[in-house]
Amino acid sequence: MALVEIRNVHKSFGEVEVLRGIDLAVEKGEIVTIIGRSGSGKSTLLRCINGLEQINGGEILVAGERVHSRSTDLRKLREHVGIVFQQFNLFPHMTVARNITLAPVLTGRVAKGDAARELALKVLAQVGLEEKIDAYPGQLSGGQQQRVAIARCLAMSPYLMLFDEVTSALDPELVGEVLKVMEDLATQGMTMILVTHEMNFARNVASKLVFMHAGMVHEEGRPADLFANPATPELANFISSVR
Amino acid sequence: MRGFTISDVLTMLAAVQWTATLVVLALAFGAPLALLLARMCTGRSRLARLLATGILQLVQGVPVLGLLMFFYFGMPVFLGIKVPALVSVGAAFTIFTAAFLGEIWRGGIQAVHVAQGEAAACLGLTRWQTFRHVIAPQAFRIALPATVGFLVQLIKNTSLASVVGFVELARAGQLASAATFQPLLSYACVAAIYFALCFPLTLWSRSLEDKLNGAR
Amino acid sequence: MLQLNFNQLWRYQDEFLHGMSLTLLLTLVATLAGLAIGLAGAAAAGSRFAALRLFVRSYVEVIRNTPALIQLFLIFFVLPYAGLRLPPVYAAAAALSIYMGAYASEIIRGGLASIPRSQIEAGQCLGLTRWQVFRHVILPPALRNIYPSITSQIVLLLLGTSLASQVSAPELFHAAAFVESRTFRSFEVYAVVCAIYFTLVLAFRLAFAGIGRIAFRWPTGR
Repeated sequence: MALVEIRNVHKSFGEVEVLRGIDLAVEKGEIVTIIGRSGSGKSTLLRCINGLEQINGGEILVAGERVHSRSTDLRKLREHVGIVFQQFNLFPHMTVARNITLAPVLTGRVAKGDAARELALKVLAQVGLEEKIDAYPGQLSGGQQQRVAIARCLAMSPYLMLFDEVTSALDPELVGEVLKVMEDLATQGMTMILVTHEMNFARNVASKLVFMHAGMVHEEGRPADLFANPATPELANFISSVR
Repeated sequence: MRGFTISDVLTMLAAVQWTATLVVLALAFGAPLALLLARMCTGRSRLARLLATGILQLVQGVPVLGLLMFFYFGMPVFLGIKVPALVSVGAAFTIFTAAFLGEIWRGGIQAVHVAQGEAAACLGLTRWQTFRHVIAPQAFRIALPATVGFLVQLIKNTSLASVVGFVELARAGQLASAATFQPLLSYACVAAIYFALCFPLTLWSRSLEDKLNGAR
Repeated sequence: MLQLNFNQLWRYQDEFLHGMSLTLLLTLVATLAGLAIGLAGAAAAGSRFAALRLFVRSYVEVIRNTPALIQLFLIFFVLPYAGLRLPPVYAAAAALSIYMGAYASEIIRGGLASIPRSQIEAGQCLGLTRWQVFRHVILPPALRNIYPSITSQIVLLLLGTSLASQVSAPELFHAAAFVESRTFRSFEVYAVVCAIYFTLVLAFRLAFAGIGRIAFRWPTGR
């Protein structure tokens, strides 16, 4: 069974049906990139996977557990499913160290004090920001904040990470440093689902490409194949418009 | 002793005109002063800034009751003549208005971006023209919700004039209470009238604020 | 003829001091009680029960749109008819607390509402409980947003305690009336009292600014 199973998921905001029957499976270790025009429902789908949004039909299973079932402890699930947001969403009143160790300490996976700091240093090393451990988010550049946000996820040792347009709010010169960290994660075997506009990342790093259109999975397959031979005019149009 | 009747209510309603008179006086004399203070606070002269800020701080740092007493007893001392209560009470609320509106308008002026002033200066406008045509209209829009909100404060605070015996709405309530031994009815009636005056202004201020936030 | 004479007032230092201590006590009590009411009010404003929300809304609007003096009179003169005869100081403390509570409710509600939804989501996504999200993610920045408004409201409360003199609670302003009745130096007495209030306000503002600087050190912006 796949790590993430999305079966016939429907989702509406009021009258507007944003997801109109999504089916998608993500195996352990896969790097899945979701592309598509804005409004195609990409971010909504991502937010459904860790239960930030309710769904109106279908089901989503993560590690065999139904995300939207009443009996599921979302909190427990989210300890293992990290999400990184477009706007970083670091806590402005905490140092980098505290941002990273808050959840591990509160959920009891690491002791306060030296052990927590060690954990912070370890994950900061993964994103190359050890020297910023005592800084506040307000003192960091956008790229640095996003790397800290990734480190904050890593500190929970997730088996799945979701990335919601994580480079879209960054100045162009800061995008590279964040993509680099994500590539490193990919090579280490992390299972990742990304919504992104970075076509180079989608082409070169992803193991699967998903093109969403009008609330459905319009095409999916190996990135090289899809980019070379889009089967539908919608994908062909999309690829030529972002190139 | 007599009962609380409709005529007590009518007396209170009639007393609203004196509450209104105080409010109008305070605004008529206080608003120009407030504008002056706000301009001084945001102006170029260091001395004027210091002076105006000092006045704002001072008036905002004493109770309104203190301000009332200060003028009620102080004006005869300084002027050497007895003045009617309306004058001394009016003067106290003028100063009160000048300080609090001055503070609100200072904030409004400072909220208008510096670049706006610079842009106007680059167009060759004089400092007064810049203020009159560029800064003031924007500052007014920004400060309007708080200005309307201040009106509510002013109306409520005029009730303190009753302390020196000036017969406005609150004092009329006290008199009715004393004459009828019906404090609950009397003061509830007074409170209801104040509420009827203030609540629409509060709602207006809030809707102005929502509009302003929506526009930004 | 301008004739000022402050000399006689020195003899009444003790009266002023006693008055001042009650002024500060009233401020303290009404601040604490008002904050407690405000917290409850802010919580109730977000309640599931429409009746509770309506009650809080009405309380806040009625208090904020009527003069504090009338509220004080209602409590002081009316409660005895209900069999509850409060001494002036208690009546004043109750009225000022109820008054402060209404303003605090609004300020606290606004402060909590000012925390972006995305911050709360970020907390949830890290597996934090509702309480942990509130305590660690919402509360500290909300406190920072609330702090300037709540402290200026406390300063206004300090000045507002002078109303207690109108029901004969022996605070600073009442002390002034007493000294005035003994010396007949009305203007001088009230000038001195105003100076005392101003000094207290200044001390409060400085203290609040200092505390704020220590408590909220993280950089804002961006």
